[in-house]
Amino acid sequence: MSTSNRLNDGLIDRSRPMSFSFNGKIMGGFEGDTLASALLANDVKLVARSFKYHRPRGVFSAGSEEPNALVELRTGAHQEPNTRATVAELFDGLEATSQNHRGSLKYDLMAVNDWLSPFLSAGFYYKTFMWPKAFWEKLYEPAIRASAGLGRLSMEVDPDTYDHGFLHCDILIIGAGPAGLAAALTAGQAGARVILADEDFRPGGRLNSETLEINGAPGHVWAEQALSELNALENVRVLTRTSVYGAFDHGIYGALERKTDHLADSSGKPRQVLWRIYSKAGILTAGATERSIAFGNNDRPGIMLSGAVRAYANRYGVAAGKRISIVTNNDDGWRTAIDLTAKDVEIAAVIDTREGSPKAVIPGASIVMGGRIVDTRGRHGLTSIALSNGQNIPTDCLAVAGGWSPNVHLTCHQRGRPVWRDDIAAFVPGEDLPVGMRVAGAANGTMTLAAALRDGEDKAITVLGDLGFSATSPLDLVAQDEPSDIEAFWHVKESMGRCFVDLQNDVTSKDVSQSHLEGFRSVEHLKRYTTLGMATDQGKTSNVLGLALMAATSGKSIEETGTTVFRPPYSPVPIGAFAGRSRGEDFRPVRHTPSHSWAKDQGAIFVETGMWLRAQWFPKPGESHWRESVDREVTQTRNSVGVCDVTTLGKIDIQGRDAADFLNKVYANGFAKLPVGKVRYGLMLREDGIVMDDGTTARLGENHFVMTTTTANAVSVFRHMEFCRQCLWPDVDVHLISATEQWAQFAVAGPKSRALLEKIVDADFDLSNEAFPFMGCAELTICGGTPARLFRISFSGELAYEIAVPTRYGNSLAEVLMQAGKEFDVVPYGVEALGVMRVEKGHAAGNELNGQTSALNLGMGRMVSKKKDCIGNTLSERDGMNRDDAVRLVGFRPVDRSAQLKAGAHFVSRGKSAITENDEGWMSSVAYSPSLGHSIGLGFIKRGHERMGEIVVAADPLRDAETDVEIVSAHFIDPEGERLRG
Amino acid sequence: MAKFTLQSRSALERYIMSFDGVTLKEVADFGLVSIAAPIGGEKKLIQAVKKSYGCDLPAVGSSDVSKNSELRMLGLQPGQWFAFFPHAGDDALSSVSEKLGMGGYYTDQSDSWAVLEISGERAREALERICPLDLHPTAFPKGAVSRTVMEHLGVINLRTGEDTFTLMSARSSAQSFLHAVETSIRNVI
Repeated sequence: MSTSNRLNDGLIDRSRPMSFSFNGKIMGGFEGDTLASALLANDVKLVARSFKYHRPRGVFSAGSEEPNALVELRTGAHQEPNTRATVAELFDGLEATSQNHRGSLKYDLMAVNDWLSPFLSAGFYYKTFMWPKAFWEKLYEPAIRASAGLGRLSMEVDPDTYDHGFLHCDILIIGAGPAGLAAALTAGQAGARVILADEDFRPGGRLNSETLEINGAPGHVWAEQALSELNALENVRVLTRTSVYGAFDHGIYGALERKTDHLADSSGKPRQVLWRIYSKAGILTAGATERSIAFGNNDRPGIMLSGAVRAYANRYGVAAGKRISIVTNNDDGWRTAIDLTAKDVEIAAVIDTREGSPKAVIPGASIVMGGRIVDTRGRHGLTSIALSNGQNIPTDCLAVAGGWSPNVHLTCHQRGRPVWRDDIAAFVPGEDLPVGMRVAGAANGTMTLAAALRDGEDKAITVLGDLGFSATSPLDLVAQDEPSDIEAFWHVKESMGRCFVDLQNDVTSKDVSQSHLEGFRSVEHLKRYTTLGMATDQGKTSNVLGLALMAATSGKSIEETGTTVFRPPYSPVPIGAFAGRSRGEDFRPVRHTPSHSWAKDQGAIFVETGMWLRAQWFPKPGESHWRESVDREVTQTRNSVGVCDVTTLGKIDIQGRDAADFLNKVYANGFAKLPVGKVRYGLMLREDGIVMDDGTTARLGENHFVMTTTTANAVSVFRHMEFCRQCLWPDVDVHLISATEQWAQFAVAGPKSRALLEKIVDADFDLSNEAFPFMGCAELTICGGTPARLFRISFSGELAYEIAVPTRYGNSLAEVLMQAGKEFDVVPYGVEALGVMRVEKGHAAGNELNGQTSALNLGMGRMVSKKKDCIGNTLSERDGMNRDDAVRLVGFRPVDRSAQLKAGAHFVSRGKSAITENDEGWMSSVAYSPSLGHSIGLGFIKRGHERMGEIVVAADPLRDAETDVEIVSAHFIDPEGERLRG
Repeated sequence: MAKFTLQSRSALERYIMSFDGVTLKEVADFGLVSIAAPIGGEKKLIQAVKKSYGCDLPAVGSSDVSKNSELRMLGLQPGQWFAFFPHAGDDALSSVSEKLGMGGYYTDQSDSWAVLEISGERAREALERICPLDLHPTAFPKGAVSRTVMEHLGVINLRTGEDTFTLMSARSSAQSFLHAVETSIRNVI
């Protein structure tokens, strides 16, 4: 643009010019500019289209409250929609585009909505798109969605990284304006650990935007001095570009630090960091936000908040217009006129809604006391305003001063309710603040400079006292209290044209009254019906105005009307920042088994089981289907010997004088008399009698046991037993510690397993069936002195062992077992073959122990001891758990042996239809049995144990299958258990 | 009969990496043995520890160093301590139980944990990105120890020096743990 609106001075660095583009047009700015100030400097008024009516809109504010000037920043995968131009720090090469229009920004095709606005008032969607119902999903929703929303996502993976972090302090001070800086200086000098967080890139708050003085110097100069003093204190940490977005329990705050948003490139560092700040106390010095006044067509580009017009002039050296007018209901608006006059900007008019005499002499301006604006003109930018007295004033910028609303947001995050103060026409924080929080300065309704400084210092002194610090010396700050009288004025009733309340959502004064007429009397209903106060700005500039209009409509006071509930976040937080590093393969940690690297070398296919990666099968060259590999692994194991890493099973080391008694209580079956050197299968019940977990427990010594749990329940069983030990029976002498990670454990299964192990155990250990029978256990050495544990247990149904060595040797043991087993044609097998063999053997696993089944259901009812007191046995005796028609775990095989069974199928008797009423049970696990040559299944069916040989239907309506199956014993292989005892 | 031997592996293959202001390395060749006091036997155990190592069984959250400075006793929960000491062999358990005798319950934890040491003037800055604990010297002085969670992983954090921390986490997830700590360093340096 040829026309520049730059003034002299301002807190920008004119020695550092920058170039940026908006909608492809290259423009210039300076370091210290925001995108908004740079656009205004280049006389760009029209920057966006409104949400609903697609009205032309310009920059409205100078801070994070901005409802209008939302743009898409950057390009490609880095594109970020809905960025507030007022907080987007200018950098060289910044690219921004406007959003929410079809066609160009200037000639938006969707602006037709504006002409249709009489039909598009509050509740339009609810009323219009009701009939016919068939159109809801196919027509209405796609059409509405297509026109909804503001900016567009890139639809590419976010190339930036995000991080989380944790900070701790005595006092968190939120906002580095005058009150915050005074509080931070006081607390910092006293030696407290202080974090001062400010959302701006230049701390100082309104001091940067005003000409008010502290200690005889401009406020921003004092702010700079205060900051350098704070930065020099080791106990103070200043976080700029950091928004504290939520106040959570126990003094914990959430904050978003924008690390690289102001740079052209992140250089591989996280773009933003989401901090969790633990504080002993908090001082909220978040300042106040200015609000608008409702008059006809009060939304045109060029109509801005008065404090923002002042900020652009004082801080950024930018005149927001060439002939500026001001409308105000308070003294603060006059300061805009005074400051701009001092900078030789022409003031067209000052319109004060109050009666009385002018508050200042503004040369050349028409002064209208008791004035009302009824309409404005200028399609793409303000050209004139019309007053109720008939006056028509040509002007290209209107500064609206409707009063300031303290930023009470964070005071309400734990359901605090703000209270209304008539004297400042604003809500201030109530009594019920989050624990440890105090509020100072404008956020607390202390609206003038000297008082805010004092308030900040006083609150810091109080907090220091609470925490046991004493303040050093008073700050002795010299400042004035500027005039700040206000007479509430909300709405020009005689307006021509729509009076906008919420600019972001195009909510007008008419929508507010219509909502009331239609019965939405609660302020929360008003919000939902009209969308007032929703979306990215959460109504920061509009809420109080909306409430005031609602109060006027309903005849209630503003206090009675109340506010909607404020919830985190205070300002938008990208979802990426919440996710932090938890994305892609770093979403959760991965656990590797001790033989992982060996298995990888063997070309194993891995499967996630919880956080574990386990070898699922080990494909051999030429095998094209997973079942070929699995069938081979099963067959070879059953014919010779196989090895499987079973380290993932939970292992709990149990020691103590009362360890045996303890196990006797946590297991449903007896453990008190288990001899040293023996292992026993154990069934663990929940208090309600349902099976919690199963596993084996070995007695290594009189007072020493090792329990195994299922992989899935390793943690929950440990936690349960700690609860039993610490809370149920605190007097028992038992100590528990996890040993899951300590031992690398391998199943060695198959008829040749003994022969294989004989090659690696040290000479003095006798593995013969007599010396080390089924369910034996021992601590021994292998491979020339390496400590190991050996258990003769079998999940596969074969002669089998589990051998454990310290994890450091795990990978090596896998290699050694393969080497030593070569002569027996040893095979490594994965969890898939493990599963096939346990189904063939009829062992219950996770699918059967699903938190709904009892010992009786599993066919282990008799294991639950009636003689002793143990967890779950009392409640397992309830009638409902001992019904004659309870489901029982049995085996199933297809009548047509070529049919494939599916887990999840439900059983119905033959001839009955597959409906819930006829449901008799379900198939829990299935496998193709290479040993039998057909599909087999385990499942639960009513009275299953009495129905051997009966043919029922396995119905699977979801997959559209009905298969005739025969009820058989769950033990498909070696039902007598001769193999495992051999 | 045995002609096979087993090779030992450390959890992180003796990883070591230097960054500007931070060094991160695996601590290998250590013994870690949990010690639990039987109910009513704490006094006797304290005496045994005093006699054998010349240190205390410290309170939860703190640690004590043996007289010969080789072993550190960590107080981790009521009635449970970890003895942490340099030890290359696989017999850490017996080296402790033989000294302390029947007065306690001992479990070998040497293969259960992957141990990292992070040190240097910017170590705390890196840990801010992952460790929820307050590591300010007034809150977490030298010798302090605490269990915590970093990036979903349980971690024991022990401060051994002004700028030196020992971090222990489960051995099976050692790679994820290393990656998480290393990322924390790279994100700030």
